[in-house]
Amino acid sequence: MDMLLLMGADSGLGTGPGPAVPWRKVLWERQPFPDNYVDHRFLEELRRNEGLRQYRYWAVVREAGLVAQQISCVALFLTLWLYMEQGLLSPSTLLWSGLLCALLGYGFYQALGPQGDSDSQQRTRWSDLQSASIFLSFTFGFSPVLRTLTESVSTDTVYAMTALMLLAHLVSFPYAQPSPPGSLSLNAALFASVCLASRLPGDHRASRGLNSSSPSSLHTFTMLCWALLVFALWPCLRQRLRECAPQGFGCVCLLMGLSGVGGLGSIWPGGAVLLAAVLGAVTLLCPLLLIRLQSDKDNIHGPWDEAEIREDLARFLR
Amino acid sequence: MVLKIFFPQCCNKADSGLLVGHWLPGQDSAVVLAVIHYPFIPGQVKQYIHQVGCVGVGWKNEEAGGEGKTKEEKTGEEGDKVIFVHYEQRKVMLSQLHPTDPPVPLTQSTSELRQVFGTVSQSESLFFLDKYDDSPVKLTHWQSEGREGSIIVELMKQASTPVCLLTAWILVVCSLSVSVSRILNVFPLRFISSKLCSCVQLSYRTEHLQTVSSPTRATSHTDYMRKANIFMSFLLDVTLGLLLIYWLYRENRVGQLANALLPAADRVAKELEELLQWLMGAPAGLKMNRALDQVLGRFFLYHIHLWISYIHLMSPFIEMILWYVGLSACLGLTFALSLLSDIIALLTFHIYCFYVYGARLYCLKVYGLTSLWRLFRGRKWNVLRQRVDSCSYDMDQLFIGTLLFTILLFLLPTTALYYLVFTLLRMVVVMVQGVLQLTVDFINSFPLFALGLRVFRSYTLAEGVKFSVLCEEPGTPLHLMMDINPLKFSSVVQTYRTATYSCYPKDSWLALCKKLFLGELIYPWRHKTTKID
Repeated sequence: MDMLLLMGADSGLGTGPGPAVPWRKVLWERQPFPDNYVDHRFLEELRRNEGLRQYRYWAVVREAGLVAQQISCVALFLTLWLYMEQGLLSPSTLLWSGLLCALLGYGFYQALGPQGDSDSQQRTRWSDLQSASIFLSFTFGFSPVLRTLTESVSTDTVYAMTALMLLAHLVSFPYAQPSPPGSLSLNAALFASVCLASRLPGDHRASRGLNSSSPSSLHTFTMLCWALLVFALWPCLRQRLRECAPQGFGCVCLLMGLSGVGGLGSIWPGGAVLLAAVLGAVTLLCPLLLIRLQSDKDNIHGPWDEAEIREDLARFLR
Repeated sequence: MVLKIFFPQCCNKADSGLLVGHWLPGQDSAVVLAVIHYPFIPGQVKQYIHQVGCVGVGWKNEEAGGEGKTKEEKTGEEGDKVIFVHYEQRKVMLSQLHPTDPPVPLTQSTSELRQVFGTVSQSESLFFLDKYDDSPVKLTHWQSEGREGSIIVELMKQASTPVCLLTAWILVVCSLSVSVSRILNVFPLRFISSKLCSCVQLSYRTEHLQTVSSPTRATSHTDYMRKANIFMSFLLDVTLGLLLIYWLYRENRVGQLANALLPAADRVAKELEELLQWLMGAPAGLKMNRALDQVLGRFFLYHIHLWISYIHLMSPFIEMILWYVGLSACLGLTFALSLLSDIIALLTFHIYCFYVYGARLYCLKVYGLTSLWRLFRGRKWNVLRQRVDSCSYDMDQLFIGTLLFTILLFLLPTTALYYLVFTLLRMVVVMVQGVLQLTVDFINSFPLFALGLRVFRSYTLAEGVKFSVLCEEPGTPLHLMMDINPLKFSSVVQTYRTATYSCYPKDSWLALCKKLFLGELIYPWRHKTTKID
């Protein structure tokens, strides 16, 4: 196979003007050389694979653990939904436990947080209370509407939409800076939870719930509260934990993964196996792949010099 | 150099004498207008020629009796080729060359034909004297064969002036009284009267009558034709209206109509109710949100109930109203048709209301959805820069926004279906009204007089001329016959259409579809408020 020779304009023995003046790589001076002339320092400044990062395996594993975390969050949420759908867990229990978790989490958050002056802390607490009351009132007010929203849509469509939305959530999640969760990821997760919440069966028995709203509205309300907790508030707490208590962070990660797998396994063993496989792949296999493939990397950077083609191209026309 | 001489046919059989006419500069042609007979005093003839503004050409017409040969000797240039073009003087004088737009003064740059026609028609002063008059100059031209006259036409000409004055006075009185009563309620009456077709048509006809009955004579051909067309269309209108009245009142058809109106309205309401019941179920297999469906359906059903009660309340008075309305057709068929269009608009007012409700709801929904979709992706509309920018929202804004987005999205099919149904109904009503308006417009603007002229006196509207060879022998000059080519019918209609306030579609199809999609209210017909000539 013939190879084209790309050379600088001067290679070739003795051709070219005899340099009394040494050639300099500038164009703002008139030189006795043609504009595309380069001497023997042709492509000298070319650099390959500049700024290549050397990854270390366990560091990458630690970062990949965040993705696995999020996947197990989603799995946990799905588990809760499955429990409620099959009637194994009553909505009021879930609701109370959710509120309890929220309070606990808030306490942890404040405890771990930077100790500012009490004045700003008062204000933050007041605005947090406002936000919480807005959430609760709106969700409660819209629950009856949300309940009947997808009545006429077929179940398969609803499941497909949910799956799509959760995938979008995982893909667009801001893993680097999860503290205020990104718009698209949060919205996708909430949309998926509304779809799922409207598919919960209505309870025909007499309500054992705490208030007079119909049982199925309570289902919806509970579902949405848990969605908020898992997708919106948990990442903030997790980030705070990671910043302030790294060892505790590692334990919490492991706990999340195990509970995700375990929870899914109690209802759907096949799913649990699948989830474990996915988690293992993401956490352990993908970093290996990344590091293995790094050695194949071949990037060229650098200032380019003009080449002059010396080969006889007529060969290609035959 | 070829010389063209336009020779009137009536002078072929004249006695010998001096030819007078015009020389057309720059075209190498001469238009002969008349023959001055022997004996004449050259001094008087010269004075007369200067008086009437002709150019006398010193030719001698050597004829003896019948159609002899003419020997032409033009002083000066001999050996030139000469072409004789014979023309019918009366027809050329009375005809108008189209297009009539360029103004009258003939310069060198107007076409030769136009100059010929213009010369002949402007030489009216030459044609007052005849060879039978007792004057020192005896002429032969087209009027020598006898003037046309008719007693009826003369009488009408005499009577037209006082009639015009009377009509103008009546119109002034009417418009004064109308404007006085309008001063009392300014805003609501004007708004309503601008929306009702019959009021618009009335004002339009009044304008027409004012044009027709102005006592000044029409100066140009266009004005004359316009007056005549308006007058004829008005006559036609009134005739058709009287025919309609005769037909309506002969066998008490008005009563029959009134009796049929109430059951028709009931029937329409019942059909609408059935339509709504169908929508509230599962229409065409589509699955709607049951709660919203019920709400909207019940709301519209209540409206229909109100409407039917109103109609029942009005039922004793309908016959009398219809009787008087039918009488108003004596003002013209167009007025009756516009009244009918207004009655239809009033009777289907509830459909219009439903359309407005449905469209507003849908528009709101679409607007909300687009805005919330932007929030879903984390973007916002920047009003200052008129573009979409990214924006970081608070948690509660995100939460509530997502909830609302979900709700609006799933309720969209229901609203869209109601909107579609009511828009279709409204389009049907608009189409019917549009057809009526088009008929009215057609009657208003059709140039009956011009078409009549074209049929009976086709030489008055000339588009051009055609030549046929009369005599072509070597050695003698070429003789051609010039005939007038009348204007085509389509050009007649196009040129002489009266400008009307015609309604035409306001938007193109693409803009209409876009408006329908976004839920904006549609008023597809627009009235031209200014006349376009």
